[in-house]
Amino acid sequence: MEKTTLQVTGMTCGHCEKAVKTALLGVEGVSKVNVSLKDGKVEVDHDSSKAPVTKLKEAVEDQGYDVE
Amino acid sequence: MKEQLKLDITGMTCAACSSRIEKVLNKMDGVQANVNLAMETAAISFDTEQVSSNDIIARIEKLGYGARFDEAEQKQQYKEEELQRKKRKFLLSVILSIPLLYTMLAHIPVDLGLVMPHLLMNPWFQLLLATPVQFYIGGQFYVGAFKALKNKSANMDVLVTLGTSAAYFYSLAEGVKTIGNRAYMPHLYFETSAVLITLILLGKLFETIAKGKTTLAISKLLSLQAKEATVIRDGKQWQIAIDEVKVSDLLLVKPGEKIPVDGKVTLGQSSVDESMITGESIPVEKAVGDTVIGSTINKNGTLTIKAVKVGKDTALAGIIKIVEEAQGSKAPIQRVADTISGYFVPIVVAISLITFLIWYFFVRPGEFSSALETAIAVLVIACPCALGLATPTSIMVGTGKGAEMGILFKGGEHLETAHKINAIILDKTGTITKGQPIVTDFIAYEEEKKVLQYLVSAEKSSEHPLAEAIVRYGMEKRSSTLPVKRFKAVPGYGIEAKIGDDEIFVGTRKLMNLKNIASQAGEKDLSRLENEGKTAMFIAINSTMVGVVAVADTVKETAKIAVQQLMHLGIDVFMLTGDNERTAKAIAHQVGIANVIAEVLPEEKANHVKELQSKGLKVAMVGDGINDAPALAVADIGIAIGTGTDVAIEAADITILGGELTLIPKAMALSKKTMQNIRQNLFWALVYNTGGIPIAALGLLAPWVAGAAMAFSSVSVVSNSLRLKRMNI
Repeated sequence: MEKTTLQVTGMTCGHCEKAVKTALLGVEGVSKVNVSLKDGKVEVDHDSSKAPVTKLKEAVEDQGYDVE
Repeated sequence: MKEQLKLDITGMTCAACSSRIEKVLNKMDGVQANVNLAMETAAISFDTEQVSSNDIIARIEKLGYGARFDEAEQKQQYKEEELQRKKRKFLLSVILSIPLLYTMLAHIPVDLGLVMPHLLMNPWFQLLLATPVQFYIGGQFYVGAFKALKNKSANMDVLVTLGTSAAYFYSLAEGVKTIGNRAYMPHLYFETSAVLITLILLGKLFETIAKGKTTLAISKLLSLQAKEATVIRDGKQWQIAIDEVKVSDLLLVKPGEKIPVDGKVTLGQSSVDESMITGESIPVEKAVGDTVIGSTINKNGTLTIKAVKVGKDTALAGIIKIVEEAQGSKAPIQRVADTISGYFVPIVVAISLITFLIWYFFVRPGEFSSALETAIAVLVIACPCALGLATPTSIMVGTGKGAEMGILFKGGEHLETAHKINAIILDKTGTITKGQPIVTDFIAYEEEKKVLQYLVSAEKSSEHPLAEAIVRYGMEKRSSTLPVKRFKAVPGYGIEAKIGDDEIFVGTRKLMNLKNIASQAGEKDLSRLENEGKTAMFIAINSTMVGVVAVADTVKETAKIAVQQLMHLGIDVFMLTGDNERTAKAIAHQVGIANVIAEVLPEEKANHVKELQSKGLKVAMVGDGINDAPALAVADIGIAIGTGTDVAIEAADITILGGELTLIPKAMALSKKTMQNIRQNLFWALVYNTGGIPIAALGLLAPWVAGAAMAFSSVSVVSNSLRLKRMNI
């Protein structure tokens, strides 16, 4: 189990926060997601064998947000 | 292939939503998207080889938003596709019919020295050309005829099917006779059926082109609704979507905002522009306890309202529902070509039957086949080729002439019915009147120039439409203005301003009482003006009554003439208004209308139309406002004033450009002339063929007879239609 912090840009409201959270939790191997709307930081607890960072990035970008 | 797509998007709440959708869509291969948050639409261009429109919609829905095709766009697209389809069918029909038409020349007894290829004269080749026209292109007539016969009536489709089928199968039988008998010269009538079908398609194409824009009244109405509301809960303000507003919610409406739902004022005072619903241009003063209508615009004060009716129960929703139902339930109009076919078909069938019996029993007793052949020949010649052109050519010329005069007909059927009208209801504001208040009276009790100068100066600071009228009046009179030191508008009372060292007050009796100004000096004039249905106000400087000014909506210059012309046509003229009886009667008197229906609630207008209809009258409704839309849709003929709202124009059948009322009697006259023209055309379409019936009944029918009838009737019909163009209306 690993903890990764993603820097996500483009989130402005609660709607966005929820969209990102739901998308990440939908990835197999992700157990916990914590989104901080203010600074755009997204903490993800995940099993990197099932859910590597690239997969997480993909899930977020799929929702229309950018990951740095 | 690149394609454009326009979608309605729902569920977007902020700019992040729209940019998010945009970003996601632009990531898709071959897609370029532009999302508009305010309009709630997405304009998308995409490559059909890489993605489909359904993929795009699915992608947006996956993001948690709703997406569907833009209704307006879709309807327009459908209409264009239909037109293209009709054009293709017509072209195919022309290509197949031309060789058949050429063979007709061979039937002419005179030698024209034409080269007539043997192939063209071959019955089997002709069959090959005629079959797709008869069944593929002409299949729709079989369907239409079947439906009509099921309803036990004979329409134009029945006549067309009967005639073309007779010609086609008769020719087929003739062709069969040539088998094993090379010397037999068959009588072929393939061109009769093919040309008839081609001409009908041409006629239908004409009518489609002559048709106006597709109706979008419903979507236009929906777009008027407020999208959001500010609700007050636990002393805090919340911005919520309109769907979430519940009955008894307290809502805050700031100046310039739309009132979200129907409600009652619980706090505050303001004037509300209800023109979009009621058509009245002068804003209505609202205070605690007054009812307000959803979608109307709050002008200058902040109101707190209690929601009384929400969602489907609001006045606007009611209007939408009535328009929707009326448009959906309008019975198709019995068109004159169908009516005449209804008589023609049984007569022709009867003659054919009699011919059969006479031949079978008297002419050649016992010879079944020759009797049948003669009977069918009667049906063949009775098939009127120019029938399909008779109505559409007149309609096309008629609508064209209408457009030239400023009368836009939405479809040919309205041109056929407009002259049948025997009652007409005119809306007052914006239809009979100009819909814009102007100063009608200005009476000064002191030096006129000075009073006017003070009045105009004070009113210049106000944004009320009544003030605008006074300022315009001042400009017309070239009155100069003075600087205003202080200005205050008291909703429901009037205005007060300080000019130099003087205080000036303009307003109602209430304002004068409030300021303790003796109003006796102006009382007589004020009462008189009020009795004339005008909005009259006192003018006072300091504590002296100095004058009275009256503002009113004025009647259009030509309204009286138009009313007289309508009455001259034998039409009962009614005036309908939401205004009070006094004002209504004053206006009606000016234009010479005796039948006044006043104080009508917006949602009741359509009922008054229905009431007249239930007395057996054919009713036309003329209006310009959104509140007129249901009545326009319900009426036999809805006439919109071109200067009115889009919704009224969309709901109506005819639009009068520029609001010129004298165009209404002209529209009726044009309709009458066009109908006469259609009847003449039908006569010309049928007369030559009818003349051929005795020839056929005698067993003498030859292809040249059918050909001649076809040529003469078509030329007669077209040239008669063109005559309409030069007529004086």
